[in-house]
Amino acid sequence: MYPNPSTVEALEDAALLAEVQGRSLWADARTRFFRNKAAVVSLVVLALIALFALFGQFLTQYERDTVDFALMGANAHKGAPSFETGHYFGTDNSGRDLFARVVQGTGISLMVGIVGAMVAVIVGTLYGAVAGYFGGRIDNIMMRIVDVLMSIPFMFVLILMLVIFGRSIFMLFLGIGLISWLDMARIARGQTLTIKNKEFVEVAHATGVHPMKIILRHIVPNLLGIVIVYATLLVPSMIIFESFISFLGLGVQEPNTSLGALISEGAGSMQYGTLWQLIFPLIFFVLTIFSFFFVGDGLRDALDPKDR
Amino acid sequence: MLSFIARRLSVAIPTLLILVVLSFVLMYSAPGGPFNSERPLPPQVLANIEAKYGLDQPFWKQIVNYVWSVTTQFDFGPSFQYKDRTVNDVIAQGFPVTLTYGFWSFVVAVVVGVSLGIAAAIKQNSWLDYLAVGISVGAQVLPNFVMAPLLTLGLTLGWFWMTGAALLPGGGWEGGVIVAACAEKDNFCFGLPWGGAWRFDYLIMPVIALSTSYMASIARITRSSMLEVLNTNFIRTAKAKGLPMGRVIRKHALKPTMLPVLSYLGPAFVGMITGSVIIDVFFSTGGIGQFFVNSAFNRDYSVIMGITILVGALTMFFNLVVDILYAWIDPKIRY
Repeated sequence: MYPNPSTVEALEDAALLAEVQGRSLWADARTRFFRNKAAVVSLVVLALIALFALFGQFLTQYERDTVDFALMGANAHKGAPSFETGHYFGTDNSGRDLFARVVQGTGISLMVGIVGAMVAVIVGTLYGAVAGYFGGRIDNIMMRIVDVLMSIPFMFVLILMLVIFGRSIFMLFLGIGLISWLDMARIARGQTLTIKNKEFVEVAHATGVHPMKIILRHIVPNLLGIVIVYATLLVPSMIIFESFISFLGLGVQEPNTSLGALISEGAGSMQYGTLWQLIFPLIFFVLTIFSFFFVGDGLRDALDPKDR
Repeated sequence: MLSFIARRLSVAIPTLLILVVLSFVLMYSAPGGPFNSERPLPPQVLANIEAKYGLDQPFWKQIVNYVWSVTTQFDFGPSFQYKDRTVNDVIAQGFPVTLTYGFWSFVVAVVVGVSLGIAAAIKQNSWLDYLAVGISVGAQVLPNFVMAPLLTLGLTLGWFWMTGAALLPGGGWEGGVIVAACAEKDNFCFGLPWGGAWRFDYLIMPVIALSTSYMASIARITRSSMLEVLNTNFIRTAKAKGLPMGRVIRKHALKPTMLPVLSYLGPAFVGMITGSVIIDVFFSTGGIGQFFVNSAFNRDYSVIMGITILVGALTMFFNLVVDILYAWIDPKIRY
């Protein structure tokens, strides 16, 4: 005998309800994140900035390294931003289109931040998890290394490296990769220390699972929340770090550019009244940093188990 | 306590040695020497110059010599770029300048940051609290290389465009805070009754630019730490026995509040000494940061190494002081 249609419907509804009620940790975090207005707005702004960096070049007819000799030296009165000439953000001292250069600068700055965060996530998490899981002497030595590396003034060492091996984007990435994982390693270790005493790790250990497999299968996934939060907060500090070096002229080299180099250029020529050279890179810099901070804060509120 | 200090030193000294050796190895592995120029020198001349600087000796001898003279005599050797000066001369010239800016920035960051944080915590959810939180959020995106141009744009250039005279000079170094006498039309210069004058005008913008972001962080840390302390039982006891609020804060709440702030001072110090490079370059102060960047462009290895090691030593010394202070203030730490 078939159940009558209304019962089937009710059962279906119940199934749907059950589906709605069975929320995972991540779904929970997602709703919490999307309730935070500042974080959501920042996420949208970040998406727009990323789109600008990726596709902004198609909006302008100028290449970023084309020098307009008619504007060179006449930047202050002919190079102002305007829609008629097609230089939306004006031109720089050499008559290059600032819009195209800001597009590239934003792109490089974002890339630096993301590479730094990725190194931190991969190296830092594994390093911290291994140190925390094994504990004892291994932990002691590994963390002492981190302490030693952290007490070195890295900006100076990185500039030394840039001088010796030549100033290139690759060296910049290498330098940023060298420092970005240190904090993450400490955070991951601290979390691992609490996780490794949980029952599921004990069970895995008792059934004879290989330690590396325990770390990768059981510990690292449980670190992910906090790792994502700190990675997001790490991106802006990496961007600031790179801009610092580029501001001094030691980072990204011409004809390439980054936001720090553009800000430096704008600051160097502001006494001639060409303020657009300073303001447009600054707007993008400030917006990017702000958005990352707010998204990071939103993620922390959503994911950090301490605040629940 | 002594054993605690000794244990800290036993980490700090090897770290410093590693830094010295590391920077020497980096320098040694550099392609091309400091005297390779576009117009190559005659080989005999080059050999003579290299012999003068000891560059013809084998690697191990050079490194032992360098480490020995750095550690025992604080001698960083001759500068390759400035033929008439040693690295020690460069440091002696630039370091007092950088130290002056650094000292004042540190004082401003700590004093303003801590007071702002405490005020915000005591008057939680008042306009003062919102102002403090707003400042500390906003200042996160204003690192020194953003603050410096903005301040110059407003107070030097903008003021000049509006009134015909700049409020503050756009840089330079006038020999310290205490000067013989004020110049004419000098803002922010105060004559002293016992002769001489305090002159702040050229210091104001660099100090603000250098301290803002750290001031904001210190304010944020102080505020949250103070809020936490104010909710503890011993503060409730102090209030319950009828102590006036000012006394509760001063006598009971301040010390535990300062602990997280104290542990932030180490990173803040590193950040400020690094940031002083930007300040020195942007405001043309003639501090070590300017020498550092100049040397970086001119491949003057010995100056770069000397400054890197000096900064490293300073950082470790400062961290040591902070650690000792921390252990001294926090009764929970056993050493």
